[in-house]
Amino acid sequence: MPEYTIDELIIACMARELHGEVLVSSVTAFGALAAHLAKSTHAPDLAVLSTPESGMDAVPLPTLSLGQFLTENQRAIPLTMEDIFDAIFTDRFRIWINPAQIDQHGNVNISVIGPWERPKVALVGSRGIPEDTSHLSQGLYYLTTHSPRTVVAKVDFISGPGYTPDRRRWLGSHGAPTCLVTDLGVFGFDPRSGQMTPRSLHPGVGPGMVQERTGFPIEIPKDTPVTPPPTAEEIAIIHAADPLEVRKLELLSGAEAAEKFAAIYERERQTLHAAWPRRRH
Amino acid sequence: MNKVMSAEEVVAQIPSGATVAIGGSSLSRKPMALVRALARSDRRDLRLIVNVGGPEVDLLLGTGKVAEVIYAFVGFEVMGLAPHFRAARQAGAVAFQEWTEFTVMAGLDATIKRVPFLPTHAALGTDILRVNPAFRTFQDPFEGETLVAVPALRPDVALIHVNLADPQGNGVILGDGHMDALCAKAAQKTFLSAEQILLPERLQTYGRDVHIFRTVVTGVVEAPWGAHFTGCAPDYRADLLHVQEYLRAARDRSAWSEYLEQYVYVTDEEYLRRLGGEHTLGERLRV
Repeated sequence: MPEYTIDELIIACMARELHGEVLVSSVTAFGALAAHLAKSTHAPDLAVLSTPESGMDAVPLPTLSLGQFLTENQRAIPLTMEDIFDAIFTDRFRIWINPAQIDQHGNVNISVIGPWERPKVALVGSRGIPEDTSHLSQGLYYLTTHSPRTVVAKVDFISGPGYTPDRRRWLGSHGAPTCLVTDLGVFGFDPRSGQMTPRSLHPGVGPGMVQERTGFPIEIPKDTPVTPPPTAEEIAIIHAADPLEVRKLELLSGAEAAEKFAAIYERERQTLHAAWPRRRH
Repeated sequence: MNKVMSAEEVVAQIPSGATVAIGGSSLSRKPMALVRALARSDRRDLRLIVNVGGPEVDLLLGTGKVAEVIYAFVGFEVMGLAPHFRAARQAGAVAFQEWTEFTVMAGLDATIKRVPFLPTHAALGTDILRVNPAFRTFQDPFEGETLVAVPALRPDVALIHVNLADPQGNGVILGDGHMDALCAKAAQKTFLSAEQILLPERLQTYGRDVHIFRTVVTGVVEAPWGAHFTGCAPDYRADLLHVQEYLRAARDRSAWSEYLEQYVYVTDEEYLRRLGGEHTLGERLRV
């Protein structure tokens, strides 16, 4: 069995959820690599983007500052914000969202910790999550750190609705959560009970560890399967697509992250030019 | 008509209390030279409208110019949270309306289309409906479905940075367009800053890349590196080292005063000199 790291396992799990001929956002490195991996293996018709709003059919190269240059250098197809929202509203768009909190019903929060009116920590604001969670037939979330602070009983603020009475009344299944991938396992949401349920636990992860790192009582059936690890081919595709290891920034903090950041920012233009030389008009 | 003017002349047309829509998105093509000019002025109580906001909102909050912010997002992406936004939100000293990416666009579009609101499903089921009284739900008169009414957003002024402009106010955007054309059309007065001003006959050779039309533009400022420290594709990338410097300063009161003296309370020429000059910037940021 090939050696792999947790980022590769999470990305492989994310890739397995993508299929069909839809636009796929690459707003995070994990999301970009999942889209690219899926397209390179079982989902060749995916239309992967290079920025939040442009560069359809780009080969993603995760960077800190060069998304739009990837569109330019690859002559990827430029889109507009209107195109993106039209694709969201017609369910021709997929995005892996990395929330600050997700709860047992699949509500997600990126807005605030504490009360919205007087936050303990003001985060960033709900961005485009309300659009995704009212229209898409797949609600896709990932967390690199499954903990009682991120997987909570109840989110502090609903940026995107999971299974709630309001959803039942107003939205039905449009935009409902379907999958959460974490460093412990892959989870689904039962549309009837509206509860998060384990689909598989990663190799070496037991029910006790999941319960300990989950902020609400979670039932883990004995026969819960083990997540298939990434294959050698999948790992090779991820490595080739992310030579700068931008994905690792989502796992690091403090001095390690700062060092990695500096190295990536210094080298990424060179990497872009080596892979995709700029074509002049 | 020749609409070329200075950043100070733009600021002179923005009164205290004005509602200002700002173009760009995240760390891309924010009109930072115009925003710094506003930060240097004595204007107060501005109402800002942004979609994916970041440095522009944070700088204007950090210089006490803002009474209210309408936003879908304010932050510095992987670089971190916006320090002054975070402080102002947590202190409750400034009013905030949380919107969403599409609804900000729909609000501007409603103004352009001269309708009081546009309908959407977005934000149904979210707490945004609870905390943002601007949004109302209503019954679709045809099918009876519940929808959100997104009220028209009516900016007095729009500030937009473009790659190229002509003196009449046509603007070329070569990278992602963000919601800039909506801002330009919705505002009473739109001001552009441009990396370079070209003669109209040269600008017209850019054909379909002309996204901002002179018929809605009041003034044009030539501002090389005018989006710095955000990026301006394909001319230059975001200056993330300067973002780090900004964030360090914005988290500390005395460092913040020094930052303002160093980079904001100076002319644009001096700003570029203090960053090492255009050549050094080019080495670091041209792609």
